Amino acid sequence: MTVIESEGLTPCCRSSAIVSVEQLTKYYDDLRRGRIVAVDGISFSASPGEIFGLLGPNGAGKTTTLRILSTLLKPTAGRVLINGYDGLTQPDQVRRSIGFMSVNTAVYDRMTAWEMVEYFGMLYGLDRQELRDRMERLFDRLKMQEIRDLLGSKMSTGMKQKVSIARALVHDPPVLIFDEPTAGLDVLVARALLTTIAELRDQGKCVIFSTHIMREAEKLCDRIAILHRGQILAMGTLEELREQSGENDLEELFFQLITEAERKRADRAS
Amino acid sequence: MMTWRNIWIVFAREIRDQLRDRRTIFMVAVLPVLLYPLLGMIFFQLAQVMGEKPSRILVIGAREPLEPPLFDETGFVSSVFVSPQDAVLLKVEFLSDEVLKARAGSASEDPGRALAEEALRTEHYDAVLYFPPGFAAQLADFREGIRQQIAAGLSSEANSEAKPGSEKSPEEAGEDASQKQQPTPRTVVVSRSAIPSPRVYYSTANDRSQTAYRRLVELLDRWTDQVMVANLAAARLPPDAARPFVFETADVAVQSGFRGAAVWAKILPILLVMWALTGAFYPAVDLCAGEKERGTLETLLSSPARRSEIVLGKLGAITVFSMVTAVLNLISMGLTGWLAFGHLPDFAAPPLFAIFWLAVALLPVSLVFSCLALGIAAFARSTKEGQYYLLPLLFCTLPLVGVPMARGSELDLGTALVPITGLVLLLKTMIEGQMTEALRFVFPVGLVTLGGCYFALRWAVYQFNSETVLFRESERFHLVAWLRHIFRQRAVPSGAAALTCGLAILLMRFLLTNILTRIGVSWNLVQQALISQVVVILLPVVVLAALLTREIRATFLLRLPSWRAVIGAVLLAVMLHPAFFTWQQVIVRLYPLDPVLKESLKQLTGQALDLRQLLLVMALLPAICEELAFRGFILTGFRSSLRPTHALIFAALFFALGHTILQQSMVAFAAGLILGVIAIQTGSLLPCVIYHAIHNGLLILQGSLGQSRWVSDPWIKAMMTWTDEGPTYHLSVVVFGILAAGLIFAWMISRPEVLRSYLAEEETGSH
Repeated sequence: MTVIESEGLTPCCRSSAIVSVEQLTKYYDDLRRGRIVAVDGISFSASPGEIFGLLGPNGAGKTTTLRILSTLLKPTAGRVLINGYDGLTQPDQVRRSIGFMSVNTAVYDRMTAWEMVEYFGMLYGLDRQELRDRMERLFDRLKMQEIRDLLGSKMSTGMKQKVSIARALVHDPPVLIFDEPTAGLDVLVARALLTTIAELRDQGKCVIFSTHIMREAEKLCDRIAILHRGQILAMGTLEELREQSGENDLEELFFQLITEAERKRADRAS
Repeated sequence: MMTWRNIWIVFAREIRDQLRDRRTIFMVAVLPVLLYPLLGMIFFQLAQVMGEKPSRILVIGAREPLEPPLFDETGFVSSVFVSPQDAVLLKVEFLSDEVLKARAGSASEDPGRALAEEALRTEHYDAVLYFPPGFAAQLADFREGIRQQIAAGLSSEANSEAKPGSEKSPEEAGEDASQKQQPTPRTVVVSRSAIPSPRVYYSTANDRSQTAYRRLVELLDRWTDQVMVANLAAARLPPDAARPFVFETADVAVQSGFRGAAVWAKILPILLVMWALTGAFYPAVDLCAGEKERGTLETLLSSPARRSEIVLGKLGAITVFSMVTAVLNLISMGLTGWLAFGHLPDFAAPPLFAIFWLAVALLPVSLVFSCLALGIAAFARSTKEGQYYLLPLLFCTLPLVGVPMARGSELDLGTALVPITGLVLLLKTMIEGQMTEALRFVFPVGLVTLGGCYFALRWAVYQFNSETVLFRESERFHLVAWLRHIFRQRAVPSGAAALTCGLAILLMRFLLTNILTRIGVSWNLVQQALISQVVVILLPVVVLAALLTREIRATFLLRLPSWRAVIGAVLLAVMLHPAFFTWQQVIVRLYPLDPVLKESLKQLTGQALDLRQLLLVMALLPAICEELAFRGFILTGFRSSLRPTHALIFAALFFALGHTILQQSMVAFAAGLILGVIAIQTGSLLPCVIYHAIHNGLLILQGSLGQSRWVSDPWIKAMMTWTDEGPTYHLSVVVFGILAAGLIFAWMISRPEVLRSYLAEEETGSH
């Protein structure tokens, strides 16, 4: 069993790429554990009309990577280009180019769905009339008209998820970043959400999507990077991954890759 | 670019959000409206229950009847009370003669006294009134003496008229008279010392006892007056003879509408400050820590709104709530007060202009606390953690607010420069109607207040930018791990280390000064300088540097400077000397030194030291120690965490605070800025030490100039004029010095090759 080298499968900067990440590294210092390497020199890229999946166990560095992509964290080393803008030097333009939805789908408790989406639309500098038209279309499309005037505190998790998606889409960004969007959702809502994400891809959006659920990655993602301890163990389309490893089942493949990596680590340590 | 649109959007959202929050509305609007009527009600209910309790008084040794009478069978006679109802408030018990007699056999010479102390100690009585044995008889004798003397005087006058030439003093005459007229002659002494003093025993440790004492003294005063009237009658004088007139008092404030201003001037600012703080704190915690806790902050930060826009929008909302809270509280309190006490004659509504100044002060006061609360709330991880910080903040603020309320504290340069205290005092002075006095301090108070706001805001923005603060997970605090983490982990000190060092120096100075005063050691100038430089300044710096940093050279800027920097430092110090000397004079003229301080300074510097010693101790030693601390450790530390300008200001601020005398601190602040710039530009400590030593040295030389023959030197004469107060530089010299210093500085920091090419261009241009 060979570990698939990430560079071997995809060139890190394809000409069509709208998101490109080069040698991204993030450390932070912890009092007890010393220096923690959350992301360890990863590179990948994604194109419009593509869903790029970051698949990895908890603590693999998915959230850190996505936070760096959305300019919430600054990388220790490496570079992020989104829509041609550098995450370090042009964070404002990067933020205008992305719609970010974090793990804990946070919705303001004391705002209605409409107010919340409108608030962010205004922060993106949208004109009032244009914003209203766009929101009407968005609320129709996401079937949110009935929760329009519902306060955040009264919403179910599914409703909150919808509001978050509407909020991420309100300025019509070319890149969408979803950090474990299905966490905590029931099957029906999760399925509806995945359908929406697929639709977004079909509209030509580039979607970066993180999950630890194999089935989701298998069904949805055009390309997958398997992340473990801040490193990409394997990357490619599902077919490419299967071909390289000779293993048909993604879960099995994932498990093998991680066991292999852990064994190598233990060897190095001893 | 920061846009007002985004600030407004954030502001409007936060206001709407808070208005929908039940807790905020309760704190800001409902509580104040309900609180004061409720407090008023409770006060009246309690007043009914509590009332005035009677004091229990034990009277010892008053069995013999006094004249005029003080006691009847049940207690004090009614004539010693202003209104007869007051008699109820004093319950009198007489110690029976048997007890006294039983004690008379004991060793004590005066059994009454021992009994009195015992009666108080066992706490059955609130006060004891003790009359020594024979008091009544002595008093009667005293009066009798007066009467006889007067009678004798009158008769001797009659006698002397009958027998002219006899020269007898009144005493002798009195004796004569008594010998003649009294059937049983006895010695009469008209002297106060002959009457043993009665005593009131009470205890200041006990509130009830103090009340009893107050009541008793009032009553005994009136009785003493009666005694006086009786004595006057004995001397055949009219009762008003001892007090032919009384002083009338007139309060001009009543006519000018300033009535009650003094009370309001104390109460209103403190209320304003406390409510502005409370009103700012809860919304701040909800808007920052709360948003972090609920996870919405991450979403907000990934929007294109800039951090500073978000912070300013939030600040606006917090300030509005702080102001509304303060206003509602003051209105509610005012209305309740007016309803409850409005009918009392002593009550005066706050004057209109007081309310006007309060309204003017509302915005800056609210702004200060909003900035502070915002900074703290941004630091807190959760609302719970945020609320933990309220109490320490209140405790830090209370003394700052309390000091101005103390009797005798006034607005002066020192208090004006203390954050919050200055603001409260300024407001107090304005409410008291002393406008000219207040206007003098508007600038320093405003500077400190706005400076405080600015840095609190920068702190908040910094925290919104800081990953460790934003995504801080609750980790367990581990002391050993933390110590290992800070021990020599960094090459140069951090900003926090610089702050610690600055505070350590201030603390050392405070402790040492007080300990030395407590022990009662008086040091001479040399010892004082050594202690204050080596122990107070150098010791904390060296210890912290050894513990926290790895690279001593980088920390203390121990690099060889260019010759240009050295010469530049010498010239700069010389050229800026007239400016500094004048600046010092201006400060002392504007804000004169405390006379006591001036005297002790004079004594200290007047000690016989020759000039060389003085220069060594007051110029060279401070130059080395203070530069190592303030331009070495502290400035390097601040520079590693802050932008250069902020680092410069903070290092200079600590340098200024390190000088205990305020007027000196103001000069030191300016000098600190210049020294900081030299340190940053030359990257070496040596030019700073040179500049500092020459700066101090020239000021010392200038001080000793008066005694020397140099005064008549034509150069000196050309530069300065001499008055009674000492020398003053001509303005032209000061201006020239500053301009020259500017040029020298430019030359000092310019790179030689740039200068050379510039000169080359000049040359070619001129040819």
